[in-house]
Amino acid sequence: MTTKKKILIILTTGVLIAVSVALYMFNQPARDVQATTTDYSFNASTIVNEYLTDANAANAKYLDEEGVSKVLEITGIVATISEDFNNQKVILLKNDTDKAGVSATFTEETNAHTNNVKIGDEITIKGVIRSGAAYDSDLEMYENVIIDKCDIVSK
Amino acid sequence: MKKVILTMIALVTISLTVSAQKQVSTKTHFKFFSSTSVEDIEANNYASVGTIDPASGDIVFSVPMQSFEFEKALMQKHFNSAKFLDTKANPKAKLTGKIANLEAVNFSKDGSYEADVKGNLTINGVTKPVTEKATVVVKDGKISLNSKFNITLADYEVAFEKGKPSTNIAKTVEVTVEAHY
Repeated sequence: MTTKKKILIILTTGVLIAVSVALYMFNQPARDVQATTTDYSFNASTIVNEYLTDANAANAKYLDEEGVSKVLEITGIVATISEDFNNQKVILLKNDTDKAGVSATFTEETNAHTNNVKIGDEITIKGVIRSGAAYDSDLEMYENVIIDKCDIVSK
Repeated sequence: MKKVILTMIALVTISLTVSAQKQVSTKTHFKFFSSTSVEDIEANNYASVGTIDPASGDIVFSVPMQSFEFEKALMQKHFNSAKFLDTKANPKAKLTGKIANLEAVNFSKDGSYEADVKGNLTINGVTKPVTEKATVVVKDGKISLNSKFNITLADYEVAFEKGKPSTNIAKTVEVTVEAHY
C-alpha cells in the first residue's frame, strides 16, 4: 500500500467519525426524565418554602444552565386536576396552609396513570423542575413550582 | 364611628369586587417560531400563567423559560444556555401590558374584539417596550386571548455570534400566544 493510499484511508475514516459524531449530537434524543436517577425527594411544602425563602439559592441548586435541571420526587396533597393546551394532565400538589404549590405536568405516556387520582389524595410524582415558586407583584399572586415530564411514583 | 366602619366595609367590598374580576389563566400556549432557508425551528410552552383585569385592561404573563420544548434536544440546550436565553439566570420571561383601547372591548358581551396592548416585555433580563395587537374573545362570560407578534432577538441581547445556530436561527422570531382565562 502506498503512503498516499494510507493517508487517504486515515482521512476518510476521520471524516466519517466526525460526521457521525456531529449527526449524533444533532439528533440526540430528548432526555428521558423517568429513566434518570432522582436528585432530591421531599414534600411539596419543603420546596415551595425553600423557593419563597431564597429563590436565587434555590435556582442555583435546582436549575441547570442548559435546561437539564434536577429531577425531583415530590409528595403532596392533590388540590386540582386539569389539562393543558397540549392535552397533558396537570396536577397541582398544594397544602391548604401553603402560599404556593407544585404544578406537575404529565406526558402522553403517563397521562393515564393519573386516571384514579382524586382531589385530596396524597401522591408522589417524579419529574424535572422548570421553575420555582415566587410571589409575582404584577400577577398579584403566588406562582407554583413547575415540574414537567411527570409520572406517579408508587410507594 | 359608625360612618368610619361603614366606609371601611364599603372599601373592602369594592376592593374585593375588583380583585374578583381579575381573571387568572393557567391554560396557556406560547410558541416560538423561527424560519430560515436552512430550517424551521419551533418551540412550545404550555406552563405559563397569565392574568387579565377587565376593569383596568391590565394583562400580565409570566413564562417559565425552561418549559419550552424543542423537537431536538440539542436545540433545547442551546436555547437555555448562557449564550442564548440564559434560563438559569433568568428563569422567567414576563409581559406586563395594558389594553390601550379598553373602550373597544366589551367584556360583558359575547364577541371578538381587537385589542391594542401596550406594555413591556422582559426576556433574558432585558426589558423593552412593546405594542402589539391581540384578539380578546368573550364567550359565555369566559375570556380568551390570542396574539401573534414578532420579536427581534438582538433587542433582548440574544444572539449567536458564530457557528451553526447563528445561520440556522432567524434574527426575528414569531411568537404566538393563546390563553383561556
